[in-house]
Amino acid sequence: MSAHNNHVENSTWMHAVMMAGIFAVIGIIAFAALGIGVANQKHDVYDDAKHDYHDAKEDPLTTSEELDDLYHKEEKAHLSFLTYRVAGITILVMCSIYAIFLGIGGLVNALQPDDDHGGDDHGHDDHEEHHGSASPIIFSLGVMLFLMGFPSFVVACKALMSQGGTFVFSDILVSLIGLNFIMLGVANWWKEDLPFIGHGEQIATSAPFEGEHIRKAGLWVFIMSEIMVFATFFSSYLRVRTEWCTDWAIRASEEGDSCYGVAEGSVTTASDLLRYDVATLMPGAINTFALIVSSYTIVLALKTAKDKNWEAPTNFMRFVLPDKKRAIRNYLIATLALGSLFIVLKLVEWSHLVAEGFDIGSPQGSIFYVATGAHGLHVFVGLLVMLYLIFKSDTVGFDEDNGQGIEYFGLYWHFVDLAWVVIFPAFYLY
Amino acid sequence: MGEHVASGIEKWLLDKTGKDIYFWNFIVLMFFTLFEVGAVFFEKIPGTEIEITRLMVWGVLIGVGIIKGYGIAAYFMHLRGDPRIYTRTALFPVLFVLLMLWGIGLSNPEAVTELPAWCTPDWDYATR
Repeated sequence: MSAHNNHVENSTWMHAVMMAGIFAVIGIIAFAALGIGVANQKHDVYDDAKHDYHDAKEDPLTTSEELDDLYHKEEKAHLSFLTYRVAGITILVMCSIYAIFLGIGGLVNALQPDDDHGGDDHGHDDHEEHHGSASPIIFSLGVMLFLMGFPSFVVACKALMSQGGTFVFSDILVSLIGLNFIMLGVANWWKEDLPFIGHGEQIATSAPFEGEHIRKAGLWVFIMSEIMVFATFFSSYLRVRTEWCTDWAIRASEEGDSCYGVAEGSVTTASDLLRYDVATLMPGAINTFALIVSSYTIVLALKTAKDKNWEAPTNFMRFVLPDKKRAIRNYLIATLALGSLFIVLKLVEWSHLVAEGFDIGSPQGSIFYVATGAHGLHVFVGLLVMLYLIFKSDTVGFDEDNGQGIEYFGLYWHFVDLAWVVIFPAFYLY
Repeated sequence: MGEHVASGIEKWLLDKTGKDIYFWNFIVLMFFTLFEVGAVFFEKIPGTEIEITRLMVWGVLIGVGIIKGYGIAAYFMHLRGDPRIYTRTALFPVLFVLLMLWGIGLSNPEAVTELPAWCTPDWDYATR
């Protein structure tokens, strides 16, 4: 289907259902390979290391150095097991959400009669007056219901994971209704946007954004509010951090800090556990590179879409970028893969920190998990939007006329990268 | 709107190397991230006996953060080529961030006795 054809057959939506199937298969394979196959092997190694340590502890002939060595081996084996188990489970859960998201969105639209082309029609006719969209209202209602039911939803989830309490279906009901509304809003949004070919973009008619695309201006205002959200996390972190006598501050006391008399280990921040060892710093560092590369791949997707004279490369890259449409799609897939890697590594890193006793129960743990978790949530929401962009790039396609869809999403994605530029040094390196 | 239009040094880079500003921005971001991680990871500047102090780390982290932030905002987010109103929109929250930083400073327990006099008018009760 050409990007200039603004009529989209409802059968096109079955493509989204097919993509959902692919994600489900990827999730199951990754979980079976990493979460079960490799993780079980690592668990055996961990069991052996644990027994060796406990046997040595019982043995009066064991020296303290040998005991230390065995303890570190056990700890290392445990973290290695956690890495694969958590990675496998995370990929399975993420791919399941991707599959549900694409599957439901695709099915809802595919099941509608072909003559119903959605409510927005902003791509149908340049002269037709824009008559708004109900999607944001449906979506917001869904978010409101989801958050209203969220506390009991968490209680129910804890019961489901055998973390205490009894599972009662009514606990998840309000959130479940909310999620349905969210999906309905998203599906309707997709249906309105898919036929959009770049003509009829609304222009602001008054200051301060006069002459600018309303969607772009709206996105920047949204980013402005997001900066405030992250600024509150950051300022509360700074506020408590200025009062903590961390190990680093204690060791640097001779430089004039006021930490005399405070014992080392009184306040352990995440960065104390992460920054001294290559192995512990690695997930955060890889994540930083992953986000930067993903920012570049999405820029390349936009650049390709806007390039009227795009030509396929002649080197080995021609297999990855055979034509303009597939080049854009593959750049977006690369962005999705890098963003997904970010989430996997983040949860692996969290599991290591929790295993080492750094949990959300302390002030330093609370601010770390809330700030990095909020950032991770932003990445994940971005990935869900990216799924739709990949679907659109693979069906209707992007070109120089409708490439702004990638540009506007790219602004959000770059902002997420920008937030990480602040979070990474503050929470991981300092 | 949207794609960055090459001018000045960007055009020079494109002409000389055949690579656009996005590519070079990407390289700069990767380099400075490596630099940032290295500054924290090493206790001494590699190849020298010079110790990396906490102040040096602060300097590196803040400096690199500003460079990386500028690279992403100016080139990847196209603020350099877009109308000024977008830059103003992006910078608007800085006012509140500064207010928050001020609040952090004032609400620190040490602020009562340690802040300079010009910052604490009529706070003489603290030292009385």
